[in-house]
Amino acid sequence: MGILSTLLLTPFLGILVLTLIPGGNTSQIRFIANSFATVAFLFSCWLVADYNQLYGEIQYYEQFIYNPAFNSAFALGVDGVSLPMIVLASLLTLIALLASFSIVHNVKSYYISVLLLELGMLGVFLSQDWSLFYIFWELTLIPLFILIARWGGVRRGAASINFVLYTMGGSIFMLISLMAISQYMPEHGGTLMADMTEAARSMPRNEQLWVLMGFLIGFGVKMPVFPLHGWLPLAHVEAPSPVSILLSGILLKMGAYGLIRVVVMLPEATLVFQPYLMFIALFGMIYGGVLAWRQSDLKAMVAYSSVSHMGIVLLGIATLNFTGITGAVLQMTAHGLVAGALFLLVGLLYERTHTRNILDYSSLVQVMPRFAFFMTITLFAAMGMPGTVGFVAEIHAVIGGYQQWGNLMLFLGLSILVSAAYAMRTVGMLFTGPVKPQMREIEDLKLYELTAAVILIAAIVLLGLWPTPLIDLSVATITQMNDFISQSIQ
Amino acid sequence: MDVLVIFIPLFPFIAAIIIGFGYFSSQVMGLRGELSSSDVARNAIYLSSVSAILLLIADLAGENSGSKMVGQWLDSGNFVVNLNFITTGFNVVVAALFSVILVIITVFSKNYVHYEPGFRRFFFVLSLFSSSMFLLILSGNAIGTFIGWELAGLCSYLLISYSYERPVAVINATRVFVTNRIGDTGFILGMALSFYFAGTVDWTSLNGMAETLSTPTVTVISLCFVVAAMAKSAQLPFSPWLARAMEGPTPSSAVFYGSVMIHSGVFLVILLQPIIDKAPFTMGLLVIVGLATAIYSYLVGLTQTDVKSSLCFAITGQLGLMFLECGLGLWELAMWHMCAHAIVRCFQVLTAPSLIKNVNGNPMKPASPFFTNRRWLYIASIQRFWLDPITDRTLVRPVYGLGHDLDRFDKNIIDRAMGDPVSSFTAISSLTQIENEARRKRVDEIQMEFVRGKGIVGKLLEWVANIMSWFEERLVLRGIGMDLVTIGRNLGHAANMFELLLLKPRYLVLFVFIVLMLAASI
Repeated sequence: MGILSTLLLTPFLGILVLTLIPGGNTSQIRFIANSFATVAFLFSCWLVADYNQLYGEIQYYEQFIYNPAFNSAFALGVDGVSLPMIVLASLLTLIALLASFSIVHNVKSYYISVLLLELGMLGVFLSQDWSLFYIFWELTLIPLFILIARWGGVRRGAASINFVLYTMGGSIFMLISLMAISQYMPEHGGTLMADMTEAARSMPRNEQLWVLMGFLIGFGVKMPVFPLHGWLPLAHVEAPSPVSILLSGILLKMGAYGLIRVVVMLPEATLVFQPYLMFIALFGMIYGGVLAWRQSDLKAMVAYSSVSHMGIVLLGIATLNFTGITGAVLQMTAHGLVAGALFLLVGLLYERTHTRNILDYSSLVQVMPRFAFFMTITLFAAMGMPGTVGFVAEIHAVIGGYQQWGNLMLFLGLSILVSAAYAMRTVGMLFTGPVKPQMREIEDLKLYELTAAVILIAAIVLLGLWPTPLIDLSVATITQMNDFISQSIQ
Repeated sequence: MDVLVIFIPLFPFIAAIIIGFGYFSSQVMGLRGELSSSDVARNAIYLSSVSAILLLIADLAGENSGSKMVGQWLDSGNFVVNLNFITTGFNVVVAALFSVILVIITVFSKNYVHYEPGFRRFFFVLSLFSSSMFLLILSGNAIGTFIGWELAGLCSYLLISYSYERPVAVINATRVFVTNRIGDTGFILGMALSFYFAGTVDWTSLNGMAETLSTPTVTVISLCFVVAAMAKSAQLPFSPWLARAMEGPTPSSAVFYGSVMIHSGVFLVILLQPIIDKAPFTMGLLVIVGLATAIYSYLVGLTQTDVKSSLCFAITGQLGLMFLECGLGLWELAMWHMCAHAIVRCFQVLTAPSLIKNVNGNPMKPASPFFTNRRWLYIASIQRFWLDPITDRTLVRPVYGLGHDLDRFDKNIIDRAMGDPVSSFTAISSLTQIENEARRKRVDEIQMEFVRGKGIVGKLLEWVANIMSWFEERLVLRGIGMDLVTIGRNLGHAANMFELLLLKPRYLVLFVFIVLMLAASI
């Protein structure tokens, strides 16, 4: 059994163990779940260390045909695009579990759901077969629905239903597109990603456009792309804080990841859509930023800032050049870390004060200096300060976009400006101002919370100061993709 | 002497009009009014009783021609309805007998309902009933009989709900009236069919044509009339109404259910003797229904503990026997039985209240061991064989449900389409809506303070943000997000309702009816 199956098996084993032990002993459940998440994270770290960065092809490839009638295979593998996502997924699951100590009801099913979610997310990034990809893609819906609907806020019912309906609606278009491509597969061709890429390129041009359209809707809902983001504010606001970390940190990246794969598969069609994608990306960035600026609810603000930041990913992908795609891949990691840290900190704050309205806060720096320190760095990273990982990603996207469209990138600058506006205002309103009596008795971060925050902030700052290892991890794969694309569209 | 027959129903009718107008114009108030109204009623019924007896004597002396034609009531194409009366035979005997009974009951009532608030009302209804009963008995055609039949039913309704301030009385009255209407449907159908097949609604000519009509025709016509008779005479499965009808005051029970009106079913069957004789199927039905009713009434009567209920089941039992006799062709016996029964029951019911007083304290005779040892029979008897619940389950509830559904259709679709004056659709109807409204208001207020930009750029940003926020709230969140959920939920709800309605038997039955009607019309 390969390392990837072992990695995938770890959360599965965790679920099995958790189902077998009694539900009463809370600390035992927490310990088991945390250990399995840690083991998964260590596996992914080992993977990074062992991964051959100079080689852009799929590595650690494993294959097992589970449906001989269609040659659907249980095919796993990693490359430079999926590997950072795998590390991010296992890391953020660990962080989310560390932030889950406030969950006191139905602890067992909560941890099982989170581990199931991790299984689904890892499966999406690991699978090298579209059918397997789709299965894992849909698998993530079930635990998320349960997590939001059971442990969510006041409007959790509406939020969970809304989320599932949106994502399922998008998935259907994705499935239709996949089926359309499989029409062009040879008899018993299977559903392997590599094979289907070949098949898609042999499709007629107008069909390619429709297929790409389906993928855009399917992945665009998850990402989310501007008009399809209706589920996101509600789901992010109503989800419990640890789930918000996972939702914003990794679930959104699944959409972006799928889109990158599709763009490599259908470069010619993407070229046709390029101007529209650019417009949607830029408009979505400004739109999300302005709406984030308008929110007085902290969680809603972070949610809308996610819409804005994922616009950078779409923009990077739409450039169809090396720098732009690098920017997109980097932004996926950067936003995962930043959004994860933001939701973690906002969630911890909410647990202490039970209000998310920013107007209720004031002068927190006096009572929670450590929190203030981490929150400020994270917000700076969110607006793309140099020295944080967000900056590295944004600069790549801007350069890539400039190569493609020139002065239109002014609008990207505008959106960064808007994000600076709300980030700075949030820092000001949270930590400075007159002392409010009800904000006098708030506890600063506890040890395990501090651990979680330190890991994320350290990653944000270190990768911002020294981004080379992160870029090197993906550069070989991106080069290969770029070669593919530029060959096709020339 | 034929002309006497006109006066028999006329006198009580005039009395009813006098009392009614007196009541209406507040002329018959107080104790004096009581006296005058009871006197009017009594004198009228005296006069018609004398006329009836004179008519009977004349008939026995062979002075009567058999029928008296007064005039034409309706003449439309070949559908002619005369206002004519039968002045001979069984009809006259029954008229004379009933007139005497009615005299007795009217006299009895004067003291019985003395000082009751509905005294004048009682005598008005009693007079009207006497008139309609005579019309029923003496009318020479089915239309006249039917008018009397219906008026008698109406009077029965009015007297059961005599104390209309008690809900039970009103419910029972309605129930009895509606049950009787089922029989009336049979009567109307019977009339229509006899006109269609025989071309006449005259009893004499209809009976005369019995020989010329084919057996199926005769069977159908007689079946319709027999259903009407069964309903009126409380035969199975209509029996339960009689027990409910005992709600009214005692004299009315006596006159309606003891001796007079209850016999009109049997009377109708006897009246149609030539027709029914030609229809063996109808005879068989009479036998079965009569026998079943007799057994049913006997079994149920064994467990009744109050005097009115036991009388009530004794009455249906005897009537069942009369139906049985008719079915077996023992017409003469049925006639005698009916007359004798009317007299005996009248006495029994009228004395029932004093009987209670007289036998007070006497030990009750236990039911026979044969009966008590069969527990299921005992329970069935106490529960009156569950006839009322069965009717409720199979007929009343589906009709209720249908009415409910139609009402909802009316409210939700017709009213809405026509523009309901009281619009409840825009009003807040649930707590959730209030909460949503309040939250939206609160959020809006905070928003306005919170997003105030400074300077030109700030104002521009504020302006853009307001537009985008409106777009987000209206289209993305509410339009696509929440409304999708709401629409989905509504659709699901509607589908559920549809499924639920489809599963209800009443719609299945309705569907079958519609199909049958379509098939019949083709």
